[in-house]
Amino acid sequence: MNELLPIMVRHGYGLIFAVLMAEALGFPLPASIAMVAAGAAIASHTLWAPGVICAALLGLLLGDSILFWLGRYSGWALLALLCRLSMNPETCILRSAESFYKRGKGTLLIGKFIPGLNAMAAPLAGSMNMRYVQFLEFDVIGASLYSMSYLLVGYLARDLLAAILRGITAAGRAMEVAIGVALIIYAGYRVIQFANYRRYDLVPRVQVKDLIARIASDSQHLQIVDVRSHGYYDKGAERIAGSIRIEPNNLEEEIKNLPKEKELYLYCT
Amino acid sequence: MREATSARVAYLLREKGFSAFVIVGGLSTWRKAGGHLESVPKDDLVKLPSFA
Repeated sequence: MNELLPIMVRHGYGLIFAVLMAEALGFPLPASIAMVAAGAAIASHTLWAPGVICAALLGLLLGDSILFWLGRYSGWALLALLCRLSMNPETCILRSAESFYKRGKGTLLIGKFIPGLNAMAAPLAGSMNMRYVQFLEFDVIGASLYSMSYLLVGYLARDLLAAILRGITAAGRAMEVAIGVALIIYAGYRVIQFANYRRYDLVPRVQVKDLIARIASDSQHLQIVDVRSHGYYDKGAERIAGSIRIEPNNLEEEIKNLPKEKELYLYCT
Repeated sequence: MREATSARVAYLLREKGFSAFVIVGGLSTWRKAGGHLESVPKDDLVKLPSFA
């Protein structure tokens, strides 16, 4: 953090543009921290506010537009790629899609504040055939809200940031401790998530060739079950012949329709 | 994590007394192996909101 403002002074507008565009493209960069630092730089008359705002909006809108058009022509493939780092890519995609269901175009206004949704909103809008001009109208407002909010925080907290820059050890340590605690909490969360998924390793697996042989010998006592969600949004979607679908997020209801006397073979993507 | 959804659902089904298994590699492995496929029935397709 101590290094952030001097870097901002040296590279200023170009850095803001690059960091915000990279974040809009889905790279995990601390764009909000860069904007807070830029706000402090504006307060100390190091950077010019209109220049920072233009650089930020240009970066965000360019990144969003690239993903919008990629989303238009690649559909779910791009969304799956963006969700690849998620523990559960299907849930990642569906949550983003659900946000559009609930909020419609308003998702573009608040999407940048919501981790996970920030990089998904633009390609989702593209894949849903939103008109580009209409997308830009909403995205300009959303990008402005996002960048202005963090600039304001930095502007108002300029004294704190200046104090850190002057080398107040206590403030620096407090920041380091806060970041350290946040990292530990995040690591703990991921460990718990990983442990939850480890128990699913206990479920027996079957190779495709073995299943095909099993179907050939006795198909009456087994049922193939499709538990994909997002596959059902694609036109021309295919599934394993003879399989039935259950919605994985509505299991309590779906269980009622499953044959308990048969072996169930489940698949997703 | 591969087969994340199918493993989770199979685990829950086993807790409910079903005999559930996970197909390794899912649909993509089935397709590569030349297994039979069919189109998803139109009624099963979920329509996303469209702005067009």
